[in-house]
Amino acid sequence: MSVVLEALGVRVAYGPTTILDGVDVDVHAGQVLALVGPNGAGKSTLLSVLAGDTVPDEGDVRLDALDVRAIRLDELARRRAVLLQENRLSFPFPVRDVVAMGRAPWRGTGAEDDDDRVVGAALATADVAHLATRTYPTLSGGEKARTSFARALAQEPGVLLLDEPTAALDIRHQEALLVESRDRARAGAAVVVVLHDLTLAAAYADRVVVLADGRVRGDGPPVDVLTSALVSDVYQHPVDVFTRPGSDELVVLPVRTPAHRPVAAGKESR
Amino acid sequence: MRARQASVSERTRRRPSTGIGACIAAIAALVLALAGCGGDAAATGAGSDEGGIRLADAKPMNDPRAITGPSSAVVADGALKPVADDPTPTLPATVTDAQGTTVTVTDASRILALDIYGSTSRIVYELGLGDHVVGRDTSSAYPEIADKPLVTPSGHELSGESILELAPTVIITDTSLGPWDVILQMRDAGIPVVVVDSHRGTDNVGALIRQVADALGVPGEGEELAQRTEKQVDEKIAQIAAVAPTKTADKLRIVFLYARGQAGVYYMFGKGSGADALIDAVGGIDVATEIGWDGMKPINDEGLVKAAPDVILMMTKGLGSVGGVDGLLERLPAVANTPAGGNRRIVDMDDTQVLSFGPTTADVLDALAVALYAPDGSAAS
Amino acid sequence: MPTTTAAPTPTTSPSAAVPTRSRRIPALFVGLSAALLVLAVLSAGMGQLSVPPAEVVGSLLHHLGLDVGPVPAHPNGDAALWTIRFPRVAMALLVGAALATGGALMQGVFGNPLADPGVVGVSSGAAVGACAVIVLGLTFLGPWTVAATAFVGGLLTTILVYATARENGRTEVVTLVLTGVAVNAVAGAALALLTFLGDTQEREQIVFWQLGSLNGTRWPYVAVVAPIVAVGIAGAVLVARRLDLLALGERSARHLGVDVERLRVVCIVLVALLTAGAVAFCGIIAFVGLVVPHLVRMAVGPGHRVLIPASALGGAVLLLAADLVARTAVPYADLPIGMLTALVGGPFFFWLIRRTRRSAGGWA
Repeated sequence: MSVVLEALGVRVAYGPTTILDGVDVDVHAGQVLALVGPNGAGKSTLLSVLAGDTVPDEGDVRLDALDVRAIRLDELARRRAVLLQENRLSFPFPVRDVVAMGRAPWRGTGAEDDDDRVVGAALATADVAHLATRTYPTLSGGEKARTSFARALAQEPGVLLLDEPTAALDIRHQEALLVESRDRARAGAAVVVVLHDLTLAAAYADRVVVLADGRVRGDGPPVDVLTSALVSDVYQHPVDVFTRPGSDELVVLPVRTPAHRPVAAGKESR
Repeated sequence: MRARQASVSERTRRRPSTGIGACIAAIAALVLALAGCGGDAAATGAGSDEGGIRLADAKPMNDPRAITGPSSAVVADGALKPVADDPTPTLPATVTDAQGTTVTVTDASRILALDIYGSTSRIVYELGLGDHVVGRDTSSAYPEIADKPLVTPSGHELSGESILELAPTVIITDTSLGPWDVILQMRDAGIPVVVVDSHRGTDNVGALIRQVADALGVPGEGEELAQRTEKQVDEKIAQIAAVAPTKTADKLRIVFLYARGQAGVYYMFGKGSGADALIDAVGGIDVATEIGWDGMKPINDEGLVKAAPDVILMMTKGLGSVGGVDGLLERLPAVANTPAGGNRRIVDMDDTQVLSFGPTTADVLDALAVALYAPDGSAAS
Repeated sequence: MPTTTAAPTPTTSPSAAVPTRSRRIPALFVGLSAALLVLAVLSAGMGQLSVPPAEVVGSLLHHLGLDVGPVPAHPNGDAALWTIRFPRVAMALLVGAALATGGALMQGVFGNPLADPGVVGVSSGAAVGACAVIVLGLTFLGPWTVAATAFVGGLLTTILVYATARENGRTEVVTLVLTGVAVNAVAGAALALLTFLGDTQEREQIVFWQLGSLNGTRWPYVAVVAPIVAVGIAGAVLVARRLDLLALGERSARHLGVDVERLRVVCIVLVALLTAGAVAFCGIIAFVGLVVPHLVRMAVGPGHRVLIPASALGGAVLLLAADLVARTAVPYADLPIGMLTALVGGPFFFWLIRRTRRSAGGWA
């Protein structure tokens, strides 16, 4: 599996604060890479660097072996799609139009003829087809998130960069989004997902990169990286990693003291 | 941008209050303001024929400064005295107008003579071509022209459509009426427009008459009228000089005030406004020029008090709009602090005549001299 | 394959889901174009020198070389049409289109439906430039001098407003309005200074500036404004698609291949150009750029490919109608057209603020 996107020795500092310090990450085609870490670890910054938005103070970012800074904006848009946490829209476009915006980089190319089909497929995949004629501001937070995901899918990129895409979604849609991401990866794309939910990361990622204080603390398959010791250390909170009974899926749960558990009805609190 | 001609004597009278009146947001107020501003449109021109006393028949006072109380200057005999009776113009007439434009007039059967003073229309009538005049401006109020259609329906703004509707064959104007673009539109429409000098004073009365006459193809009659007027003016100035105090220290200190009560607009007319030449000709001292006042500018209380005029000259309608002499003293306390205010020495004269400087110049000077020096024989306001 | 989502087969053909809004688009253009033609002919004929519509059309055709239709009966009817009315109608079209398009562009660039060149003070900046020329008597570019200084003035204020009100690619409404208040205040002070410095005639011209009027329009002025407005609208049409993407936010638009900085600069220049063309000869006419794009959005949605040309058409219609009222409402008077558009646009602005507030859930 080839490396499609890589960050080499990336360092980003804002004044006296160093956000990323010597980070090496490579993203392979056909893989889902989960980027995890505590608040302030630099995950969004790293994603921004990988997307080509932020220019690192030191280090390189290469997309398809080319320096990302040297790639023209429209060419870049055809190779990678980015889904941000913020899903604002200044004007009340209907959902279909918002998703169709994802096709913008393909205007003037042969792929333009596929626009309708691709948009339709994206709408269906993200389960927003029934909202196609609704205007964006009338949607709920989760629906807006799914619409934005559909937009990213419509872009048909080789690389998908997703920043906490599941934050506003319910269980069903969380699963659906990650399933789709994994399917895209299997079809040859490279996917990077920033996640807070470690169990989710363990379930769907081929590789997990743990970021803390701007440094990579772990890089490898979930079962190797997501250990109780490492996770507890990185998140500064006791965490238990165990296997789901009856399968080999990893479950990551914080350790909670009995005093903090909710009291069942009729029982005395201790 | 609208091409505006810089004219020595800018537009006076109506202009400031029209601009301020139009600023009022509500259409109702605007209509009211327009109705008020348009008051002049219904001018009947009655003032000129009231028959004031002639200077020759009046008894001048020994010390004009001691006179108290207001006076009105009324022209003794304002009737037209044309030098000819419907003369035949020699056409085509090609002239170079005051702006250097060469204009050829081929037809003088439908004439429009427009300016803010009303002087050019008066000249046309005195040349004997009155029957060919098809419209008038707001300042032309004498009986012969009073019934003709008005082409400045809102104050002193030219209306291109009104002019076109009258189908004139020649337009004579100076730059005192605007917007200038309307004049250019008339040229665009193919009507010859001759621009004459916009300066008004006792020094160029003849020149103005000659310019108008040449443009209309009646140079002979023009020369006759010009010489007659110049002679009248010279004689009148000499006559007044005999009556007025000769020593500078004794001369009346006079200032010309322009007022429109509705909008609280008060202007002082100074150097180059025509008021200076007027005051000079009646043997007074123009205090505005003395304190360095250029043109027409909003009044400055301290400037007025410093000038210490003995007499204040005003237009009749303007004085009326601020509530007469009492109203003036109330609204402008600065006036009350002048000798003129103390003695209530306000002299008013018909708006359409006082600064017109046309063929009626001598009559206007006569009336003013009576009001200034021999007011007992004149009608008081 | 995912078990819970619908099977990922392509949906039914898109034409089945065409929303009602898109069906309104052709109707909107046809309606606006028809209104424009009718109003133009009516407006050309109405006024003190009245020319019946048939003669208006006849005059047009005759000048085009076709001997069809009646010529104006009044001897000066033709002259009135061609020296007074037609230039004025043409100017109203151009200025209305310029103002509305400028408004649409401004709203697209700022991502805010309340942006309008007048509200944020761009027009008054252009007016300061133009009035400075009047008072200082500059003529370094002949008949183009005023338009050129209006353009520079407008450009400077646009840059100022833009630089002050932007934050991370978003413009907060409050900052935008406050910046507009500040710029209008400063421009007002500059205009007051120019008023003080000018003589009586110049003063009147400045006052006229602040009210807006199409009185006295002549063909040479139309000839100056027309290419400016044409270039401005053509440029706006070209950037229309990219403005849609800007609605996603600066970063997301960039991710879709839009060079946001360059787009912004181009739009700023276009807005300054359009505003200069509108203000140069006619003074400040506010709210057209606010009202028209908003109404178009309400009718056919916010897509700029339709919004821009529809706004241009709508603005032309609106200003033509307003000018007709200005000329004919009070007999013999020419009401300041800026006053009329403010009378309508002001209350509309209030309503728009409340509506935006409600739907955005607060100031955003």
